[in-house]
Amino acid sequence: MSDGEIILRVRNLTKTYMQGKIPVHALNDVSFDVDKGEFLSIVGPSGSGKSTLLSMVGLLDKPTSGSVFIDGAEITKAKDNEAPIIRREKIGFVFQHFNLIPTLTAQENVDIAMRFARVQKSKRKERAVELLTQMGLRDRMNHKPSELSGGEQQRVAIARSMANHPAIILADEPTGEVDTKTRDMIVELLKELAGKGQTIIVVTHDTAVSARTQRIITMRDGGIASDTKVGEG
Amino acid sequence: MFDLIIKNITQRKLRTGLTVFGIALGIFAVIVMGGMSEHFNITFDRSMSLTADKIRVMPEGGFVGVSLNESKVREVKRVPGVSDAYGLLQSPLDPESLGMFGGDTVIGIPPEKQELAMKYTKLTDGRFLVAGDGYRAVLGSSVAREFNLKVGDELEVKSKRVQRTTSITHTRNFTIVGILEYTGSFFDNAVQVPLDRAQKFYDRGDTVSIILAVPDLNADPEDLTKRIELNVEKVKALSPSDLRKQIEQSLIVFSLITISAAVLAAIIGGLSVMNTMLMSVSERTKEFGLMKALGAETRDILFMTMGEAALMGILGGILGIIGGGALVYYLNDYLASRGTTLFTITPRLIAIAIVFATLLGVLSGMYPAYRAAKMSPMEALRYE
Repeated sequence: MSDGEIILRVRNLTKTYMQGKIPVHALNDVSFDVDKGEFLSIVGPSGSGKSTLLSMVGLLDKPTSGSVFIDGAEITKAKDNEAPIIRREKIGFVFQHFNLIPTLTAQENVDIAMRFARVQKSKRKERAVELLTQMGLRDRMNHKPSELSGGEQQRVAIARSMANHPAIILADEPTGEVDTKTRDMIVELLKELAGKGQTIIVVTHDTAVSARTQRIITMRDGGIASDTKVGEG
Repeated sequence: MFDLIIKNITQRKLRTGLTVFGIALGIFAVIVMGGMSEHFNITFDRSMSLTADKIRVMPEGGFVGVSLNESKVREVKRVPGVSDAYGLLQSPLDPESLGMFGGDTVIGIPPEKQELAMKYTKLTDGRFLVAGDGYRAVLGSSVAREFNLKVGDELEVKSKRVQRTTSITHTRNFTIVGILEYTGSFFDNAVQVPLDRAQKFYDRGDTVSIILAVPDLNADPEDLTKRIELNVEKVKALSPSDLRKQIEQSLIVFSLITISAAVLAAIIGGLSVMNTMLMSVSERTKEFGLMKALGAETRDILFMTMGEAALMGILGGILGIIGGGALVYYLNDYLASRGTTLFTITPRLIAIAIVFATLLGVLSGMYPAYRAAKMSPMEALRYE
């Protein structure tokens, strides 16, 4: 599906935590490129650095050294007050625990992401309805997360991640809390979005998920152990 | 963003309600105590404006017990720079109950000086005292209302002629000839009668409680005050500005006591806002982390959390003002039937109360908001 246009460029990314007085190398000189529209999975055992990598790319944390470029701009150089703007314009997050705001309805949960981006109210509503309809939740829009199934909640979260037309969707174990049927549905949905040109990076333990992505990066001990194209998914 | 704030505070109704109630109690205290302090300040200001031009001459050694002989009035009048002087005799209307807040007084005044003494004040009915009046009285508006008296009615005045006795020794009816308009000063609680009758009724001979000296137009009141003290023996003279200073000092103490009690109450309300907000922020740690991941800026989070606190402050403020206002209204209504008022709620007081409540909310929301805004999104998201 890739058309060769590089949307994400990771260069020599290194992250060292101090655990007491002992330095822990969570990421060690990681470099790779992601093309626009790629559906990519990052796999590896716990502690291999995949979640750390995701939080660097998502600007939730700062690397010790190295750079991340999204759409050609070096986001690792962003100042503290620019980070939220980059996050809401370039990145959509999907989390394992859905992380919807429990007091808000499905529609409001999608709405809030656009609110931070200062999108006009009428446009926010239009976009939220459009996305939730696309996710097959048109008749569930006014339900609160507690009234939705796990699969429905994750679809709301996916709709939310797409609200501001992000360059990349970062999904951290998006199927970690749902049954296999729902898992298949979510993977299918992500794949469909990638098919429409949306770049998606999924961090997962589940080989059934990674097997259905186009490219698998396997991490081990803070570095890339292998980077394989699965072929046209 | 405002709808989110409302959503959040209505989500936890009991907690929000208790917090708002805490603030409301504090502001209630501010209104009631402040209303009392405002009332005293206003009464003082109005009373001062009625007597501000006059120098008070009192017996040396204090107000109570000692009195001045009327001959001193002539001595005061002879001091160069004094255009006029007259003596007043003051006595409580009901000698058996000395009210803490003023209470009604009988003022014996030379009838021909009354109109001059009550400058600017009009009568709602009847006339001022005139020379040759016998047992006649002009009432202040509060006294008239308290005893429900009209011109032509009779008012029974009691006296204890000998200081030692505890029972009433004499009573005498005074016919009402005039009722003064409301002044907001202590004259509202005064029964003004001719000086000679008062002296006779109270068996005070030729004495007066106080002498008021009116300075010449071009005389400096401060200088004149000193001159009176030098020229007239055994008196203490108080210039208008001295008097103002003296009363202001006691008013400041009174205001400080009432206001600090009120502020204390309000601060307790503020602490309850802070407590609620800290709890609500730590409950929503994950939510704030998520909002930051979604691109919320620090100011968005600050606005939301401080907005919640401020809104609770404003709600509490409004409730407190309504509650305090209602209490003051009914208390004043009740007290008016007994001839006095104790509270005045001024626009200034309401403005202070609402600003104070909002500020309290914002200030107590600041620290919790800061904690919420400074959260690292990654750590917040991991928080369970």
